[in-house]
Amino acid sequence: MDWKSTEQASMERHAPNHSSSSSIPATENTVWADASPLLETVCKELRDGELIHGDNFNLYAAMSALEIMDPKMDSGIINKYASVDEAIEDGLAPVPISIDKTVDVQCIIDIIDHLLACEATWHKGHSLAQTVFSCAYLVRPERTLSHALLDSYCKVIRATCKAVTTIVSDARTHEEEDLFTMSYGLPLNVEGDEKCLSLLNAVEENISRQLRACKAPLSKRKPLEDIEPLQTNFDLEEGYCKALLCRLRFRKHFCHVLTCMRRPQGRGLELARKHIASCISELGSILNSAEFLMFNAYGTCEDGTEDRTTASGRQAIGFDANLNSRISAPTPPRSIKILSWKKAIKYFENLLHHLDIICSYPLDPSLDALLHFVAQFQKAQPDLVARVHLQLLLVQDGKLYGRYPILAVIIRAARLTEVIMRHDILKNEYFVQLGQIVINMLKILCTNAAWQRRKLGKILQDWRAIYSQLELAFRKESGEGSSISNGENASAGILKHILIWVEEQTYWIAHRFLVLGFELELYSPSEYCMVYWYLSVVLIRLAEKKHLKMTVSDGSAKQKGKKRKDSPKDLAREARIPPAISFLQCQICLAEGLALLLAALRNELIVLQSPSPFNSEHERFLQHFELLQKACIPDLISYPSFKESTSCARISSVVMYNYFKDAQKIAKEVKSSFLNDPDRSAELRILEQVAEHNSVALNVISRAGALDPSLKVSFEFIHHPYFATVVVKRS
Amino acid sequence: MDEALEREKKEEFDASEVEYVSYGGEHHLPLIMNLVDQELSEPYSIFTYRYFVYLWPQLSFLAFHKGKCVGTVVCKMGDHRNSTFRGYIAMLVVIKPYRGRGIATELVTRSIQVMMESGCEEVTLEAEVTNKGALALYGRLGFIRAKRLFHYYLNGVDAFRLKLLFPQPELHPSLPMMADRDDAQEREDC
Repeated sequence: MDWKSTEQASMERHAPNHSSSSSIPATENTVWADASPLLETVCKELRDGELIHGDNFNLYAAMSALEIMDPKMDSGIINKYASVDEAIEDGLAPVPISIDKTVDVQCIIDIIDHLLACEATWHKGHSLAQTVFSCAYLVRPERTLSHALLDSYCKVIRATCKAVTTIVSDARTHEEEDLFTMSYGLPLNVEGDEKCLSLLNAVEENISRQLRACKAPLSKRKPLEDIEPLQTNFDLEEGYCKALLCRLRFRKHFCHVLTCMRRPQGRGLELARKHIASCISELGSILNSAEFLMFNAYGTCEDGTEDRTTASGRQAIGFDANLNSRISAPTPPRSIKILSWKKAIKYFENLLHHLDIICSYPLDPSLDALLHFVAQFQKAQPDLVARVHLQLLLVQDGKLYGRYPILAVIIRAARLTEVIMRHDILKNEYFVQLGQIVINMLKILCTNAAWQRRKLGKILQDWRAIYSQLELAFRKESGEGSSISNGENASAGILKHILIWVEEQTYWIAHRFLVLGFELELYSPSEYCMVYWYLSVVLIRLAEKKHLKMTVSDGSAKQKGKKRKDSPKDLAREARIPPAISFLQCQICLAEGLALLLAALRNELIVLQSPSPFNSEHERFLQHFELLQKACIPDLISYPSFKESTSCARISSVVMYNYFKDAQKIAKEVKSSFLNDPDRSAELRILEQVAEHNSVALNVISRAGALDPSLKVSFEFIHHPYFATVVVKRS
Repeated sequence: MDEALEREKKEEFDASEVEYVSYGGEHHLPLIMNLVDQELSEPYSIFTYRYFVYLWPQLSFLAFHKGKCVGTVVCKMGDHRNSTFRGYIAMLVVIKPYRGRGIATELVTRSIQVMMESGCEEVTLEAEVTNKGALALYGRLGFIRAKRLFHYYLNGVDAFRLKLLFPQPELHPSLPMMADRDDAQEREDC
């Protein structure tokens, strides 16, 4: 048959009214026709670059197209199983795993271990579907009912995943990591799971009895106490009982930690700490069980024991990475690497440690103390689950720790007395807004550094806006009050305090925005100069506002009629700079010193900067500080002011007004005031170190002479996360 | 020689031997696709390539050495959030034996030049935080690291959003100020 007749024949077959001779039977609404010959013809006729498409075809939308049978894009092509049921029919997850009880127990321990590794991998930022729920036993709850140990463990895992997913969802800052809560199609709400702890307890008790029985000397065993052992090899009974018990107990205590920490107003924190301690202890036992389990491994051990996801080294039965790919997005999920068992244990140890820090926090109603605590907590870069628990503790029902109304917290932070709470002015809309802005800030401070910095930059506008509103109200209150009686001035007085506090808080946020840039590695060394300069400017304002807040409150305390004899001691105390301010001044000196040194090095050509072809330092300045400039933080600061301050910097002048020496001096003087504060003491020591190093380096550079080509100067964060240490090398 | 080794071997050549060509049509498309498929892990359908090279052919460039395509850059530009005219660098590839000789820099520079001349206010792209080479390349061209995107890539690696701001013409004081940019709640963009 020549081509034309084949074509005609196939076209006839495709006429809608004709019944087709295709292998797919027609139904009521469909008739199938084989289109392959038609497609072949069309392909031959299409020229390179031509496309067949519908009327509303759009190239942008077409980018979502998938190429069928391309393994990078077609999730069906790479799956071993078409469905969970097929996998189970194929014997992926046998129940029981083996009729040999010893093997059954070994395999269950492997499953428990691999699940822990999956759980840690999930927490670290992958989807539930690809990690924990890659376990076929979890996905078909009805299959495990006959096996008490496996069943109760699966229930506990599902219940825990559900609890953690709920916590993260409730915090609603998980937009940053929204892969975490994706659970479509996964069995997180299985009926009966809520009984998991009592079922687990029953299993635990049974195994405890089995452990006691195997440890009791043969002679002392009473026939009544003869219970069926866990597994068939008497020599291994103790080891396997212990290995199982610590794993079950860890799960139990971990459930309790989550439940206790969720109790409102932080009422469960103390009990949570006890369970955390138990968890950590059981994790230790789990680690110790590895030797026993590896030694008795059945079959061959996996190669690369460091990567193994089980204590024994064997591969766990019942898992398939692609088990859920059909219910996930149509594109195949990227293959992920499950954390090693050892790393998973380390992860949980870390998580428990961070949760413990949260639980030990004394729930101080002082906002200053809280902000400092949160900043310290974040230094260790805790993961999502820990951070979410902190956030949910801090902000509940619009109150701090669910206990203190946010407005009362603000009043206290602004150094006003609680009496003010009854004042009418607090009912104003802008105070409600202020409360919301503060709550929003607290939530943001609990997010990961990258997200946090972006959000902090954004909220600067909100803080500026509320300041303007409050300022307007202040002008109204103080302007209208022709009578200077105490009552009329009270509103103005309150607003004045609040305004100072809002400004201080705004500069604190700005400073945090700037320093987080160092931690996130957003600045290249050629940009350090402008960053330190801007930081010094912000810190100066921060110190000003903080000091003002302190003196205004001291001043008004005096006005309230408390007649005090102004002893020389009192006067001296007032004249002395508060330690918190000195602390800031130390940082200001460091920032100024670094900015000017960097500027001097550039001005004297010691550090060369090749110009970029497309823009200049001006554009980069605008970009880095756009959000601050937009919020006028600070006012009247711009690129020209930066250039003005730094264009005349020379090594000789930097040596003369040695900011590093000043920083050293201040750090030494103020050390004694922070003896009770280990965090601040530690930071002061580091600031002093940096100041000392930099002072020495400065002298080396000045003695070497400006254009010494063998001199290599670099700025490294070896002591402090954002104040660089100057390192001078001779090549 | 083993194919894998062949790919790693550094090629000896003079920079002047490299020819840079603007995207010229369908005959260039398979060259670009092969390069990108080979070197980058993202799965792109042919429509993705067509989207870029059909709509912005003037922004894509290829580098040839002795008739062989050794590098390419693929870009787009357009209105971002209805207010900023912005260029975007989607793909940049140079095969291993030819790296470290300024070919990527040259490709990108040419594309940015066209963007600038077409009125773009800024250029942006994402790069893995671990990609030291790319970060250095773009840094030298004047890009800053505007944001860090946590776990941007599905393998858990963070990304930097890199941005280049072109110098803006000085506004005459008597002209009305530009309306504030819309900064409504954004996800991980901008």
